[in-house]
Amino acid sequence: MLLEPFLRQCQQQPKALALIEAELSLSYGDLLERANSFAHALQNNGVMPGHRVAIHLERGIDAVTAVFGTLLAGACYVPLDLKNPHPRLAFIINDAHIAAMVGRGSPPPWLTGYPWLDVTACPSGQPKTTQAEPGTLAAILYTSGSTGKPKGVALSHAALAAFKEWAADLLELDAEDRIASSTPFFFDLSTFDLYAVLGRGASLYFVSTALTMVPARLSSWLKEHAITGWYTVPSLLAFIAYKGNLGQTPLPTMRFLIFAGEVFPTPALINLAEFLPSTTLYNFFGPTETNVCCYWPVDRERLNPNQSIPIGFPTAGNELHIDGTTGELWVRGTTLASGYWGEGQLHSFLNETGWHATGDRVSVNENGEYLFHGRLGRMLKCSGYRVEPAEIEATVSAVSGVNACAVVGVDDPTAGQRPALVVELAETLSLSDLRQALLRQLPTYMQPCRYWVVDALPRLPNGKLDYQRLRSFMELQ
Amino acid sequence: MKEKLRHFIFSELIFHEAPETFGDADDLLEAGLDSMGIMRLIMFAEKEFSVTLPDTEIEPNNVRSLNALEQWIQLAPRA
Repeated sequence: MLLEPFLRQCQQQPKALALIEAELSLSYGDLLERANSFAHALQNNGVMPGHRVAIHLERGIDAVTAVFGTLLAGACYVPLDLKNPHPRLAFIINDAHIAAMVGRGSPPPWLTGYPWLDVTACPSGQPKTTQAEPGTLAAILYTSGSTGKPKGVALSHAALAAFKEWAADLLELDAEDRIASSTPFFFDLSTFDLYAVLGRGASLYFVSTALTMVPARLSSWLKEHAITGWYTVPSLLAFIAYKGNLGQTPLPTMRFLIFAGEVFPTPALINLAEFLPSTTLYNFFGPTETNVCCYWPVDRERLNPNQSIPIGFPTAGNELHIDGTTGELWVRGTTLASGYWGEGQLHSFLNETGWHATGDRVSVNENGEYLFHGRLGRMLKCSGYRVEPAEIEATVSAVSGVNACAVVGVDDPTAGQRPALVVELAETLSLSDLRQALLRQLPTYMQPCRYWVVDALPRLPNGKLDYQRLRSFMELQ
Repeated sequence: MKEKLRHFIFSELIFHEAPETFGDADDLLEAGLDSMGIMRLIMFAEKEFSVTLPDTEIEPNNVRSLNALEQWIQLAPRA
């Protein structure tokens, strides 16, 4: 299952390096000892199997300790995006019905009513053993919700285990591998680093945020640590291909690069592929609800700058189906999440026939490869984050002085899409006051990139907003 | 040049309550300029000012403020 392979590594090679973060490193044995102590502390604070624990930590050694400690206590972790404004974080922990929150040092001032644990200050201890059932929830990853509030995607031990086994086999991960890690734990990409990589006894090297801003130094860092693989977002790989000095910094040890989370513009991918002739490249695809449901080993011969690449074939024994009327991708199978978590409960997201309808429009080509054609609904993908315009609209509408508003996506060459806001304002509210209110409540990637104040929003004869006209106005602005 | 940079940064990359109050020497990285922002800024600057910004010069100190950016771009080789 999910934890067993990791625990086996801790037993078989306790001295092997598990985590490397700047000057710090931690062996498998020490990681397990810390995670056990934290699990013990959770249990002493009343956390029971099935409870939820919010993780208030940036990715790194302490966050990994907190994740494995939470799972060893039989609980489920809820990783927070610390860049989110406090009201959004407070909503998430209330909605998740957490039993405790873990971080470093003292609790953030906005936290009230929940126990706080400092992961770096847990006395040594051994937790009571817990046994997770396959359906026990392991993680709840909050994302933007189409109902106007963040929603949690609930992943079970079985779903994460199915993904990590499939991925570890595909990439032939072993204890010799040194894998770079740059994804925050609230993104599903991180489940590869945590469970596939550490389940096979490899070493995980955390890429510092500062390094992602200095592409030439990032390339040197990858070379210096003889990194053998990396699962990250296309934008970061595109940055390295564009300005990473790869011509002078070959990466001969890099066995594989995997990308997911947004569409990789093919010209940038061709550029990357040329710099890394012996690296196998993979396109992973799937909304968080499916973790990864499709994958395509990049066929270099077929890269055409004017064509987007396929999302490929089903993963891990998943079944795919295309709805005949809408072209929507339906998925069922092993890596699927258990449902949405909201108001302390699990809500199924399967349709009447037992499939999850993803909202993605796809087709199949003559090679049997799936192709992605965009979203059916209103969801936007902004710098790799899912953004539901409805969540922004709900926040804007709640500001006193807003009469009506609509959010539409505008295309952006590097961020994919950006939200733009069209708004009817009362005289009592200035645009700058509105912006200030949104800064306090929405994360950066949800901030509108354009504001457009109108006397009246364009509407269809039936009174509904005319999004088609809104979008074309925005393109012209 | 500085005004073009300022306009691009505050309309496309950073969300600031009052961009007009942001000083030429103020810290853009503290204001939220991240790695994707830096990439987009470099793409914009290379095209807009017809320069090549060398890979090895992409350093926090060169993008930290509007003043630093202007100086860096002015010294960069023409494309």
